[in-house]
This record gives sequence, C-alpha cells and structure tokens, in this order.
Amino acid sequence: MKVFNHIFEIKRIRLSFNKTVFPAFESVFVILFFILLFQSACNKPPQEEPYTPTPYQLEIPFGFPTKLNIPEDNPMTVEGVELGRYLFYDGRMSGRTHPDSLMSCATCHLQANSFECGIDHPEYIGGFTHGITGKPTHHVMLPLINLVWNSSGYLWNGKIYPDNPLPQYRNIEDLVWMGVIAEHEMNSDTNRAKEVIQNIPGYPELFNKAFGSETVTFKNIGKAIAQFIRTFITANSRFDKYMRGELQLTQSELSGFVLFTTEEGADCFHCHGGFGNPLFTTHLYYNHGKDTVFTDPLDRFMITGDPMDHGAYKATTLRNIEVQGPYMHDGRFETLEDVIEFYSHDVKWSPSISPLMHHVNRGGVQLLPAEKEDLLSFIRSLHDEDFLTNPDFSKPPKFPDEQ
Amino acid sequence: MKINDWNRIKVLTLLAVLAGVFLISSCETNPDPVEDEFGKLRFSFAHRIDGQAIVFDDMQYINKAGNNYLVNEIQYFISDVILHKNDGGELMLDAWEDIHYVDTDLENTQIYAFKDEIPVGNYNKITFTFGINEQKNQTLMFVNPPESFMFWPEYLGGGYHYMKLNGKWLDTLNQVSPFDFHLGIGQIYHSFPDSITGFIQNYFEVELPNSSFEMKSGQTLDFTIVLNVEDWFQSPTVYDHNQWGGDIMQTQEAMKVACDNGWDVFSIEK
Repeated sequence: MKVFNHIFEIKRIRLSFNKTVFPAFESVFVILFFILLFQSACNKPPQEEPYTPTPYQLEIPFGFPTKLNIPEDNPMTVEGVELGRYLFYDGRMSGRTHPDSLMSCATCHLQANSFECGIDHPEYIGGFTHGITGKPTHHVMLPLINLVWNSSGYLWNGKIYPDNPLPQYRNIEDLVWMGVIAEHEMNSDTNRAKEVIQNIPGYPELFNKAFGSETVTFKNIGKAIAQFIRTFITANSRFDKYMRGELQLTQSELSGFVLFTTEEGADCFHCHGGFGNPLFTTHLYYNHGKDTVFTDPLDRFMITGDPMDHGAYKATTLRNIEVQGPYMHDGRFETLEDVIEFYSHDVKWSPSISPLMHHVNRGGVQLLPAEKEDLLSFIRSLHDEDFLTNPDFSKPPKFPDEQ
Repeated sequence: MKINDWNRIKVLTLLAVLAGVFLISSCETNPDPVEDEFGKLRFSFAHRIDGQAIVFDDMQYINKAGNNYLVNEIQYFISDVILHKNDGGELMLDAWEDIHYVDTDLENTQIYAFKDEIPVGNYNKITFTFGINEQKNQTLMFVNPPESFMFWPEYLGGGYHYMKLNGKWLDTLNQVSPFDFHLGIGQIYHSFPDSITGFIQNYFEVELPNSSFEMKSGQTLDFTIVLNVEDWFQSPTVYDHNQWGGDIMQTQEAMKVACDNGWDVFSIEK
C-alpha cells in the first residue's frame, strides 16, 4: 500500500512539473530513495560472502620445470589450499565421527616422512600400511612431494595419468576419492564423507570461499586436497643450495655426486635426475632388475599391456629419500645401504630389464665400500629439513568447528 | 560571407574528405606483394633399420659387426637447420629456437614445423647439426621434460645428450645385454675416470643427400627425415657392441667412431 501511495505521489508531481519544477524534482528523489530503501530491505540477499578467491602463486625453484600439472578446472587459490589443508588432516574425511574410526590423508602421509608413511610410523610397523579394517595396502607408499611437476602418472604403476580415457583416473583429485572408498584405506563412501563434512560448522563457509558455494561436493573436496598437495614443494636441500651457489658440498658428497651422474660410477642419473633434472626422477617406469619372475598384478604391465613393462615401476624421487623407507614398491629394503648394495651387486636379468641397466650381466655397478659411502653422502644431501618442518604444511592448530 | 559561399565551402570540404577516405582505403586494400613470395617447410621423422620401419624390442636385426640387436627407443636433438641457395647464400631456420627434440615414443616430437617462412626459389641442399653446437648446448636451457631428461652430467661436460639410442644385443656369451648408445660431449682423461683435463665437442653437421628443392609461392613442403639405425654401426668404421660394451658416455673413442659413422645416418624423402 505504501508503494502504491508513492507511485501516486510521483504521478501527481509529474502533472505539476511545469509549475514547480525544482521542488518537484527534490520530492521525486526523496521518494525514490525511500522506495529503493524499502525494496532493498524486503529483498535482502542471504549473508553469503561473494566468491572472490585469491590466486595462489607457486614459486618455481631454480632449475625446476616451468610447466605445471594443474588441471584447468582446478586453478590454485589461497582459499582452496587453506580448505585442502583442513581436509587433508581431518579424520572425519573417513565419513565417520567416532574417535576410534577417524582416518585422514595425514594418518599415513606424515610430513616428517616426506608425506609418506616412513619406516618409523607409530602404527604401520616397518612402513607397511593397511586400511581402517586392517586390509594391507598393495604397495608401500610413495611420497607426496613435488607432484605439481608430475605429468607422467601417479602410483607405482602410473594408473592415474592426465590423458587417461577414463576421466575418473587422471590426477591427484582422483586419488582422493580412491583413498576414501578403497578397502585398504578408508573403506568409506564419498557420499558419507561429503555429508559429514557438510555438517561440520565452519566447513560450508570455507567451501564458499574456495568454490563459491556452501554446498559440499566430493568433487570440491578432491579439488581442495589436490590444491594443498600441489603446494608440497621441496627444493631447499644442501644440494639445492649447492646448485644455487650458496654452499659447497663436502668432498664425500661431491664424490658421491660424480658417482651418481656417471655411467662408470653408480649410473643413477638417467632415471633419477641430477643437476639438469632437479626433480631427481623422470617419473617414468623401469624394470631395474629386482626380480626374474613377475607375479605382481599391479605392475606397469597391467597399465600398458607391453611385455617390456613386466616388473616395471615408477622411478621414485630421491629427494628426502632417507625418511621414505622401506624401499621399492614392495618395501623389500629397509635401508638405503640395502638399496645401494642391491644396485651394486644384486641386479637380476630378465627379458624386460630396462636397457638403462647395462651393468646387469655383472650383477650391478660394483661399487667399492668407500664409493658406497660417498654415494650415500650425496643422496643424504637431498634431505630438506625446511620442507619436513614447514608449518604451512603441518596440521592446522584447530579445525573449522574449533575456531 | 554569403550563404552561397558557405554552401560551396561545405561541398568542397565534403569532397576533399571523401577523396581522402577513398585514397586511404585504396592503399589499405592493396594486396601485400611480399606475402606471396614465401612458403613453409615441415619435417616429419621416420626411424628405420635396413629400409624398414623399426620393430621395437624385437631381436631381429644384425649389424655390420654381426651383432644381433634390438632397439628399445631413440631420443635425439637436431639443430641449426640451414637451407643452402644456389648462389651460395644460406638461410638458417628459426635461429636459436631451432633445437628440435625427437623421441620414438612421443609422436608429437616427430613433426618439426618451422616457424620461419621460406623465400621462394631454388635451394640446392639442406644441412643440420646432429646434436647441439657448443655455443647453444648450455646446461639448464631446457628445464621441462622431455628435453630436460636428456641432460648430460656437468662432470662429463654438461649440456644435453645429442642422442640416446637404447637397445640390447646378444653378446659373446650369448647373453642379451643392454646397450646405451649415448652420444654427447666427450672427455679427455688424465687418469680414468677421476681426472678430466678437457672436453670434446662431438656434434657434427649432416648434409642431407639429394635434398635440393624449389619453394613455390604459398606452398607448404613436407619432407621426411629418415634416421637409418644400421648406419651408425658400419661406415667408415664397423662398430661392434662386443668391443665397446653397454655404455660409452665416458668412452670418447667409441663416441668418435659413432659420430664419424653418422655422416650417412640421415636421409630425406620428398
């Protein structure tokens, strides 16, 4: 009724326009102001903050690739990374809330162990993980480091890769739902996880900031966690500082570096990088001579069907390798000394042995004891304590409902 | 001033503006006479043994030394592609951007479309550098895979492998042994393997036989560059895997034989 009266008033003023032009204009503005005020009060939108995420800037360390594996539909944002950090550490991602049943990514992926289990995990003895029901994981873990530069496939056999014709198996985002439903991991379901997160105070607001909606979807859960994982950049080891000219390596480390990068030495560099490939992996797959008979149904052959991929697995990065035991896909070696001993004297021939293992017919690279020590010194120079203790990657002090 | 004078001025001004617009527009619509005096060139790469496409990972080949062998993969750089004119002039294509990586496992690397336009005319040959010349072969100039995976260790001279040809051969003990036929910068050792006193640039120029061609206006020419694997192992020196073993990055003598043999490894199909 009030509105009708206002309109009537406007009409009356317009009729007398020629007589009292300026006073009438003033009246019109006053009336319009009140109309707008009235309407805005009636149509007040919900108190949602606008979706204005802040782009997250990744710093590319010296010598590292400039091409990043960031899907077009999941650009990195400060808000997405922040949300991902909460979810990565929140045991309710298992879709359960009882304290006995909680499980998160961080249950197994420990920052101190380069975001893998490590041989000293308090629960998973010897570094052999199992799911919430006790079912063992098929392979030992791989570290979650420098993955933003991996475009050649995730997991030991590369099952997850960007141009996979199966769109649900393409990137880190997909490893999240796989981890939730896998019997040997969370043994849950994505709907339950999504509903639990939706009902935790604080999370809907964080989803709105990160993705423009308070409605929690599992797709966005995967995106947020993937964004957080892509920030795990380790590039401040002693070797990195050597590369940047900030320090000199010890004589033993330098001797080990020479062994690492020469065919007549330990011959590691073709698969595990070096100065020209500071990722310290090619992220490619090799049969490097562990066995002569292959019974693992989840090796690289399972993905490609190429007989030359029998017994082939991803070459792991050697960054922070010291805290990433046990070693090899099946965790057969407890220590780096064991690994060096294998490459030195126990490499085995098989029809699918990688051509890069040209020392195979004499059992390995035949390092002398002092050379093994030097090689180990160099490999230890890839240890980045700053990364392993970086508070940005640690468990948040409080979860969203505890703020 | 009278009204008629004003009208006359207006008409003259209008005519002058129209004439100006006509002149400018006629200049803009003239076809560029230079545009049609160029063509484009594109290489595709093929990899063969004894004239046939390679069957990878199959021990069906025999080289000049009598080694039974297979090939698993080939990865290499060519650079400094130069077109030579009849009058002695040279045209280097895509200078400083012309280092091209070829990988038998990556189809997208097996096409090399030159950015530069090629002036029309007759060219009597094509040459290129196998590998990368000393000036351009600098460590960390490629930070992205797959090129970065070709790095040549600093200790051995730095830069990048010219080529990785990986395979296996049947050795004298009748064992299938891997070989890494890798070429790059060689070393001079005072005492092997710990004391290097100098480096040797092993890159070399390839002159493609029968590579004369005529570039016509607006044309795109597609040539196939063929790498004939067996030629690495036969002329002028027979290369025997049993002599040189599975790795040669630190054996300059072996790389020298290989590079000397490289003169006729590449051919062109037009």
